[in-house]
Amino acid sequence: MMLKLGVFELTGCGGCALNILFLYEKLFDLLEFYEIKEFHMASSFKEHDHLDVAVVTGSVSTQRDLDLLKYARNHSNYLIALGTCATHGSVQGSVEGKIREKLEKVYGTRANPMKALDSKPITEYVAVDYALPGCPYDKDEIYQVLMNLAKGVEPPRKDYPVCIECKLNEYECVLVKKGIPCLGPITLGGCNAICVKSGLGCIGCRGPLPKDANPAEEFEILKKLGYDEEYIRRKFKTFARGEIRW
Amino acid sequence: MVSIEIEAFTRVEGNGGAEIVIEDGQVKEVKVKIFEGPRFFELLTLGRYYYDVPDLEARICAICYLSHSVASVRGIENAFGVKVTREIELLRELALIGELLESHALHLYLLVAPDLFGYADAIRMASKHGEIVKEGFTIKAFGNYIRETIGGREIHGINIKPGGFGRYPTVEELEKIEKNSEALLTFAKRIIGLFASQKPLGAKAKYYIATNGYLYGDKLIASDGESFDYFEHIEERSLPYSFAKQSHYKGEIFMVGALPRLILKNNMLTPMAKRLFEEYKEQLSQGYVSLNNLAQAIELIYALERAREIVKELLDKGINGENITIEPKEGEGIGYVEAPRGALIHHYRIDERGNIAYSNIITPTAFNHAMMELSLFTEAKKRYGNTSEMEFMQKMEETVRAFDPCISCSVHLTFL
Repeated sequence: MMLKLGVFELTGCGGCALNILFLYEKLFDLLEFYEIKEFHMASSFKEHDHLDVAVVTGSVSTQRDLDLLKYARNHSNYLIALGTCATHGSVQGSVEGKIREKLEKVYGTRANPMKALDSKPITEYVAVDYALPGCPYDKDEIYQVLMNLAKGVEPPRKDYPVCIECKLNEYECVLVKKGIPCLGPITLGGCNAICVKSGLGCIGCRGPLPKDANPAEEFEILKKLGYDEEYIRRKFKTFARGEIRW
Repeated sequence: MVSIEIEAFTRVEGNGGAEIVIEDGQVKEVKVKIFEGPRFFELLTLGRYYYDVPDLEARICAICYLSHSVASVRGIENAFGVKVTREIELLRELALIGELLESHALHLYLLVAPDLFGYADAIRMASKHGEIVKEGFTIKAFGNYIRETIGGREIHGINIKPGGFGRYPTVEELEKIEKNSEALLTFAKRIIGLFASQKPLGAKAKYYIATNGYLYGDKLIASDGESFDYFEHIEERSLPYSFAKQSHYKGEIFMVGALPRLILKNNMLTPMAKRLFEEYKEQLSQGYVSLNNLAQAIELIYALERAREIVKELLDKGINGENITIEPKEGEGIGYVEAPRGALIHHYRIDERGNIAYSNIITPTAFNHAMMELSLFTEAKKRYGNTSEMEFMQKMEETVRAFDPCISCSVHLTFL
């Protein structure tokens, strides 16, 4: 039996849906197990049906997004929040201020005919069966998750920081050796420390490590390196404004 | 009065639709509605240190993240009055070429080709035309290899920095790019005829606009011979039915993209691309927006040829790998880049501490918004009442698709 899959795009950059297409030939491997019922970036085909797996990318930024999210939740057995917009709100979720104030700054009017909402991750609105953060996530991660589900195996959940992958790759520690502000110690791994490979500091795009993170100590380290508190605070909040630990 | 609703465009990036207003049996008006939520990027970067800003701006769009990074670093460097080396310029151009290949291959092979063969998507098309889909994937993957090598990751890498790069490519990586760009020319040449055979759709723009260099520049140029900064002649206005704003040049509708680039800048093309341009010149000059697809196909050839030229120059001189040191100071600067789907602008004012004090971004899809409405209007008028509903809707979507719209980009929102 083929599993029914839907890919839903709320507000975002489109990258998390695009990254699925970047699987190339591996996409056809997935299609051995799944039939796609909804994926508007890739296909004009759409069929209203109950889904085995719904993949939701982007954040809730309009009433339309919210309606689509509820549709996906109500019509699926297993819902995956894919990418940092869906799991933590990402960059558009980090812009502070009330929606009407933001609209006024930009359009010069507080009117909101298109029903924009304050941008929030989907986890604020619905129960999520699996959360895979990353701006974007590594494309092999979604491949593995969908393959696991196809075989009836609950996909494993990562719980280690970017630092671990940095050490495994034997990259030089940019925080200690070069004093570059790197959020690797408090950010969830899975990206294979790809930015540190370029000699740059992690900007925290996968959101915070779920447990055992020590943001207070990271804050102190960065302060000692000479970065001001406001700078550090904004850096922490860029991809996960709602995180209560910072 | 009745309206026909196109609920959501498919096989495009982002969320948008259209309303076609019919009055007394005539098409009266077309509204292109962009309902992708607002993203407030200008507010996001406000007050932030310039060095971190390109990494954030990249996230405006996944398909053209490097166009945003490069426009952002160029705007920032111009604000500081910094000039980078030829090596850095060439590597950035190579990054833009990688992006052009990735984006055009996605658009032509996976999004438009299914229309020409009559399928709902490339996956279904692959059952009969697997070869074409596979060749598209190969070009796309190569574009992404360049994006990863120079940009730091396939999507949203952070390697492009004000003053240079985090990491410079190795000789082996550059040689791989040189070798592949030659090999892929055969694939790219094969699809030119396919897109040349597409039936005309949409309207012809009154003006074309592009940057003064082929993939980036320091001014905009227009088809009336004007060379200018965007704020001199382009006006933006908000619409009640769209999160994207609409632009006019000297009060008139204009177009940006591959077709305008070829028409305005064909003197800069590489040899084979130039020959192809001459071959299809007459057809391209008819100006229908569907010809943007053919123009993109010719640009694939340009990008592959130009990648080889750039790599050859870099390898001949040897990679130096030196960044320019930047001393933050107060200033204002604009970065002009050609994203795959047209001219893109990042404009910044920076304070004496190096923090962003003002930013304005205008994206190609926002530039093309009025032209999209005009094209849909023209096409709807031509077809309303004499084609089946299915055919009508299909042609409307094909017309929008020819712009290769990137809706995520268009809703970043701007200060006025």
